[in-house]
Amino acid sequence: MKKRIQKLTALLLLGAMTASLLTGCGGGNSGSSDSDSGSSSEESSGSSGGAAEVTLWHYFEHEAPDLEAIVEKYNEEQDKIHITATYVSREELMNQYTIGAVSGELPDIGMVDSPDMASYVSLGVFEDITEDVESWEDLDQFYPGPLLSCQDADGKYYGLPNNSNCLTLACNMDVLKKAGFEEPPTTWDEFREVCEKTTNAADGVYGFAMCAIGTEEGTFQLLPWICSAGGNIDSLDSPESIKGIQFLTDLVEDGLMSKEVINWQQSEAYNSFCAGKAAMLESGTWQLADIDEKINGTFEYQYALLPKDEEYSSTIGGENFGVCTGTEYRDECVDFLKYLMSAQNNADFTAAAAKLPVRKDAVSLNELFTTDERYAVFNEGMNYARARGPHAQWPTLSEAFYTAVQQSLLGEKSVEDAMKAAAATIDPIVAEDPLPEASIGGGVADDVN
Amino acid sequence: MKLSMAAKKSKEAYVFILPGFIYLLIVCGYPLLYNIDLSFKNLNVKNFASGEAVFVGLENYKTLLADPTFRLVFKNTLVFTFACLLIQFTIGFLFAMFFSKKFTLAGPIRGLVLVGYMMPMSVTALLGKNVFQLDSGVINDLLMKLHLVSAPVDWLVNGGTALAAVIAVNCWVGIPFNMLLLTSGLTGISDDVYESASIDGATSFQRFLYITLPLMKSAMLSVLMLGFIYTFKAFDLMFIMTAGGPFNSTDVLGTYAYSRAFTQYEFSQGSTIAMILFICLFCVGLFYLKLLGKEDD
Repeated sequence: MKKRIQKLTALLLLGAMTASLLTGCGGGNSGSSDSDSGSSSEESSGSSGGAAEVTLWHYFEHEAPDLEAIVEKYNEEQDKIHITATYVSREELMNQYTIGAVSGELPDIGMVDSPDMASYVSLGVFEDITEDVESWEDLDQFYPGPLLSCQDADGKYYGLPNNSNCLTLACNMDVLKKAGFEEPPTTWDEFREVCEKTTNAADGVYGFAMCAIGTEEGTFQLLPWICSAGGNIDSLDSPESIKGIQFLTDLVEDGLMSKEVINWQQSEAYNSFCAGKAAMLESGTWQLADIDEKINGTFEYQYALLPKDEEYSSTIGGENFGVCTGTEYRDECVDFLKYLMSAQNNADFTAAAAKLPVRKDAVSLNELFTTDERYAVFNEGMNYARARGPHAQWPTLSEAFYTAVQQSLLGEKSVEDAMKAAAATIDPIVAEDPLPEASIGGGVADDVN
Repeated sequence: MKLSMAAKKSKEAYVFILPGFIYLLIVCGYPLLYNIDLSFKNLNVKNFASGEAVFVGLENYKTLLADPTFRLVFKNTLVFTFACLLIQFTIGFLFAMFFSKKFTLAGPIRGLVLVGYMMPMSVTALLGKNVFQLDSGVINDLLMKLHLVSAPVDWLVNGGTALAAVIAVNCWVGIPFNMLLLTSGLTGISDDVYESASIDGATSFQRFLYITLPLMKSAMLSVLMLGFIYTFKAFDLMFIMTAGGPFNSTDVLGTYAYSRAFTQYEFSQGSTIAMILFICLFCVGLFYLKLLGKEDD
């Protein structure tokens, strides 16, 4: 018996040690052995008829059918390549790009979250397609903010933007009206007042819900608060940036916003709002896809710009598509990108998927963007929205920022100390590689309306 | 003549070992060497594509050891490991003893306890996240209803309690695991031994102290070693339940290595952390094998 246990243990021990090595990041090959894992759930069908097989990886979920519809259409319209769109979860997709940069196991076309693009360009995941993009007559239709996220510091293009989104304020008008407010707040002072009057500790209702989680999602939602006061991520120790975070910290300290926001993803803050547990929410464009379904008529809601201190602010989000390094069908893939981002297709896709178009001429092609009041608010928000980066070390800047904010919100450090510590991390990085000019107050889609 | 027969036999044995050996070399050996190599370089997002990463010797190790965040993460790993081991081993042992008694439904109930162990860790972690929520979590709801606390406890928001919550969830998985292995050890002890001890007048406590414990020594050692290794390399639980937060208070070596390498693209730093993790586990493994050797003598 004893011997058997020992043998079993030795075996388990060996397994555990092997597994521990593989969970570590050392094995560049550890994950790539099965690079197709998690695929095949969302494959688009269609006749390939001798056309070359081309793979496209994306992490769209509710948007997947809308993307696949365009892919399908493209497959039917030409016979050079047959594209198969494959869903890979976002987290896994990012790992696969990193691993693929070493092993060369990349798809032909890849989707990427816009702030991450610069890092992957730096890792060599995407092909330089500058010539093809610059010679394209449609290029000047693209909004500069989203387009910038496809470029490196030298202005070379590595992809095309596919969709945009930004952040605005969603208000539960039933609660606001009951508290005596007929309209959503527009300034920080009004916003604070609404928070005070709508917070109801007894029922567990907070004035405001947002996401301040320790990931890029947190940075996305936190940036408008420092930018509105006149600060930015490359000047976190400035009085303006400190003022912005102090404002949020006071909300938490005074019980107007739940401490839990530091653990909430955007979807969790959204659920809290939809369940009537928060009077206001920092809301993203994509949430329009199912907000009516989620709220299910239990209350009236209204969208407005995020309240302002000095100026209105928001953050640009969205996805880009690039041609991956080492593909045999580079030109064909570029052709597909242009097809996918043509005015009509861009309008159709973004309207169906509750996103904003990346080109000016697409806005008028779908009446949703001009007639739906909620989209009108988001379109206006784009005028004040800033791009994140692009910067190859954006994840490091982002981490320093959200960590400092979390410390402030929970009172672990004073706002000033936390922001100074973050600035000490960020300053040397931006001193060496500055953030591009356009992302500081720029990157604005100035004529969405 | 006899010798050469033996030599021939051992040659044959090598042939049989070969496939396994090659497999290990590819699956374990190559990543390990690659990792060691990376940990002595300065590979990051900026020099990745250009291939300009250079040999920096022990620089990564020095930087890490001086980094307060890494120290915190290492401390978290140790606290997490030892707290989990203590709790899950003690309770697991008690459960094992309890369920070795032959009473009605002992089997089915033991099966139910095992449910925690059989669930995928990611599911357990999500459950943990919900159970420990500030405003809508079951635990706070329960504590409030029993009037044990006057205001909801901010379990996952506060550094100290977040680590405690993660430990609690891990024990929920660890207890059945310990129970399972210890039960198989207990069933190996013949009832005759207990019977004769009882006849000689040994109390139940004496029977536990002088029979169960010594005879279970090898099983206990195995369980503790395995528990140590499984707990020390924890990853999925924190990754999903707290993402290492709030501000690194639940980060352990596994999650920290991942975030350095795959979120911050500091590949060499990530490798160095993985190396430190490996070295720690390797030492524990050696220690265990040595103890096993002693046992056999």
